[in-house]
Amino acid sequence: MALFAGYPEAALPGTYDEMFAGETARSSFARIARLLEAITPDELARTQHLAEAALMQQGVTFSVYGDARGTEKIFPFCLLPRLVAADDFRRLERGLQQRLRALGMFLDDLYGEQKILAANVIPAEMVLGAAGYRPMLRGIVPPGGVRIHISGVDLIRDANGTWRVLEDNLRTPSGVSYVVENRLISKRMFPRLFDAARVHRVDHYPTRLAETLRSVSPVGDDARAVALTPGPYNSAYFEHSFLARTMGLELVQAPDLFVDGDHVYCRTTRGPTRVDVIYRRTDEAFLDPEVFRPDSVLGIPGLMRAYAKGNVALANAPGNGVADDKAVYPFVPDMIEFYLGEEPLLEQVPTYVCLFEEDRSYVLEHLHELVVKAVDEAGGYGMLMGPQSTEAERDEFRRRIIAEPRRYIAQHRVELSSCPTWIAERGTVEPRRVDLRPYILTSREGPWVLPGGLTRVALARGSYVVNSSQGGGSKDTWVMKE
Amino acid sequence: MISRVADHCFWFGRYVERTESTARALAAAGSLALDAELPSAQVWRPVLVVSGEEPAFRERICGGDDAHEAWGDGEVVQRFLVWDEATGTSVLRSASGARSNARSIREVLSLEAWEAVNELYLYLRDDATLARYTQHRETFYQSIRRSTQLALGLARSTMLHDEPLDFLWLGVLLERVSQTARILDVHHHAVANHPDRHEVTETAVWLSVLRALSGGEAYMKRAAGRVSAESVARFLIAEPAFPRSIAYCVRSAYDRLCGIRPPDAHDLPGGRALERLRVLDKWVTARRAEPIAPRAVHDLLTHVVDEVHEICVTLGSELLGAEAPR
Repeated sequence: MALFAGYPEAALPGTYDEMFAGETARSSFARIARLLEAITPDELARTQHLAEAALMQQGVTFSVYGDARGTEKIFPFCLLPRLVAADDFRRLERGLQQRLRALGMFLDDLYGEQKILAANVIPAEMVLGAAGYRPMLRGIVPPGGVRIHISGVDLIRDANGTWRVLEDNLRTPSGVSYVVENRLISKRMFPRLFDAARVHRVDHYPTRLAETLRSVSPVGDDARAVALTPGPYNSAYFEHSFLARTMGLELVQAPDLFVDGDHVYCRTTRGPTRVDVIYRRTDEAFLDPEVFRPDSVLGIPGLMRAYAKGNVALANAPGNGVADDKAVYPFVPDMIEFYLGEEPLLEQVPTYVCLFEEDRSYVLEHLHELVVKAVDEAGGYGMLMGPQSTEAERDEFRRRIIAEPRRYIAQHRVELSSCPTWIAERGTVEPRRVDLRPYILTSREGPWVLPGGLTRVALARGSYVVNSSQGGGSKDTWVMKE
Repeated sequence: MISRVADHCFWFGRYVERTESTARALAAAGSLALDAELPSAQVWRPVLVVSGEEPAFRERICGGDDAHEAWGDGEVVQRFLVWDEATGTSVLRSASGARSNARSIREVLSLEAWEAVNELYLYLRDDATLARYTQHRETFYQSIRRSTQLALGLARSTMLHDEPLDFLWLGVLLERVSQTARILDVHHHAVANHPDRHEVTETAVWLSVLRALSGGEAYMKRAAGRVSAESVARFLIAEPAFPRSIAYCVRSAYDRLCGIRPPDAHDLPGGRALERLRVLDKWVTARRAEPIAPRAVHDLLTHVVDEVHEICVTLGSELLGAEAPR
């Protein structure tokens, strides 16, 4: 039986499929679809099994919280690649560079003169009231002038195939190690197919990251850079150690570092050694108990003093959270126009800001069709899923929105595009919904986009949830060469 | 090098070596039980003593009873020392210890060394392995030995030869010193105190000890086929060219520590541990020049085990961050 037999019939209604348009493969992917078609379901099942065994063997795993035996799991992985056409990615690349430039300028401005607030482009109360805004960082210019060294921007494709930004991740975005590891696995499992497909490489990401970190060093080229992790029990520990290893950096934990005379030192077998750049994967709330959370045992007391003096670069800079805040997201297109004088190249999901009277009355009239989110709560709390809500829930949200309009935004439910995905239980290939997180590195020279990214896939039939903690998996993302 | 990382390297080495030595001791005892006409408690109890688990076995398995039949039940002893997660030095616990230390320093180990130790851990966690353990005991122990050797060999052949590897081997070597000392001591004691000493039985015991330390062939090359308590003790204590002898391991450990903290680097931490190790090396070397009287063996080995313990404590506080410098 052919691999894609029955696939077009299984198409999800109202969903853009990445590979097939009706009965036939999209023209950019026709050649690869033919190559994939040559694989039998049996072969794919075998290869998929081998790939999973290889990931387990290499320990490409994440820790499962709350499991006393410290169980680790592999991030479920589907061998069938997600394809991105060359011209599609070229447009994304330009759009992401533009977006990152504007977001960087926004952070510089916000922690500096706050011109954008004075010009009333974004309502000051939306920004200054955001949980990610850190007033104590105002006036600090980070070494090298870069704040968003590493970002991951979540993108989706709507029913028409239009790419839209769903969310910016400007603090400590994770997942890039899976991009590199997934690629190793697909090259190993499909060597001939991969060779014939002409795909952009992704394995130079760690080298580019190391260059990015060096570019912001306060002491020039001899900088000692370290990677800071919360430790092996963190769910992303594999990635921290992967990046440290592939960049040749030492992986440190907070107790390994201390501050003396506003300089950062590392405790070593040869006594204290200066540290100039910290690639930090700890949340900023746990960076320095003197400044952020006094109850934190994870921090490095005095770190922010050293940072303020320009003696150590932190990647990413603390304080970035305000720019990827739900309350600020609706205004990113305005930022792009304000700082760059350009039209935004990337669409995002239309968002109603309840603070604005016109938006608010629309939201209040259409609660049953909208998703309403409280801007300062994450993880699905403080959320109203309009279409599935009860009258009582809608009344409750109506009251809350009227009482504190600043706290609420609303969007229509977004459609996610689908991708051919191997369903092991049934031994078939079926459409499953995906998103895409490309990674952008910003050095002194400006933003660079890795030609690839993390494709997350909702493995359960009909599901929209791509998170690994809730039944999501990943795919290798093949960005085609011209 | 970061002190915490050095500590993980050191313990990674110790746990890998411990995994292997427990597996070796059990395989050798299994073979001895077939060869020698010894009461089986005399075959298995020494393995428990060497691993330091005799008190735990008495309490948890024998309910405090020194005449309990479990002392002589090879299956019970092996289950206790291979699979029991409550047993501190069981193969499973040691392999988990090696892996969790390795996991904390994955960026320090080479990928291949990490994979080897991760595979060993997954092998022990695999249900199919339990079946193999039941059906082909010897093959099981051999797999363990090969995995630990692979991990250490890959560390040596794929990692930079600098500080992390020095700490790793320092851990391996110091663990091995105590292991050799304890295994020799326990058997010396058993043979010397046996009521009806029989030459054939004695020879079987010594061959088993040598096998447990992979030293059978090496010993024969030095001893030309003669097996006696004294010459085996001499070989395992003082032979400078045998990689599991006390003399060899202490000297190599000293050399490793010199790489980490050169003797003339007076401004660097680690001076006390280095000096203590130097003194021990000199003392062991001096044993080569004089006959080792059977009655002196126990005291000699006790001295070695105690000194190694002290050296590890000093290393911990000077270099491995047991007492943070500030």
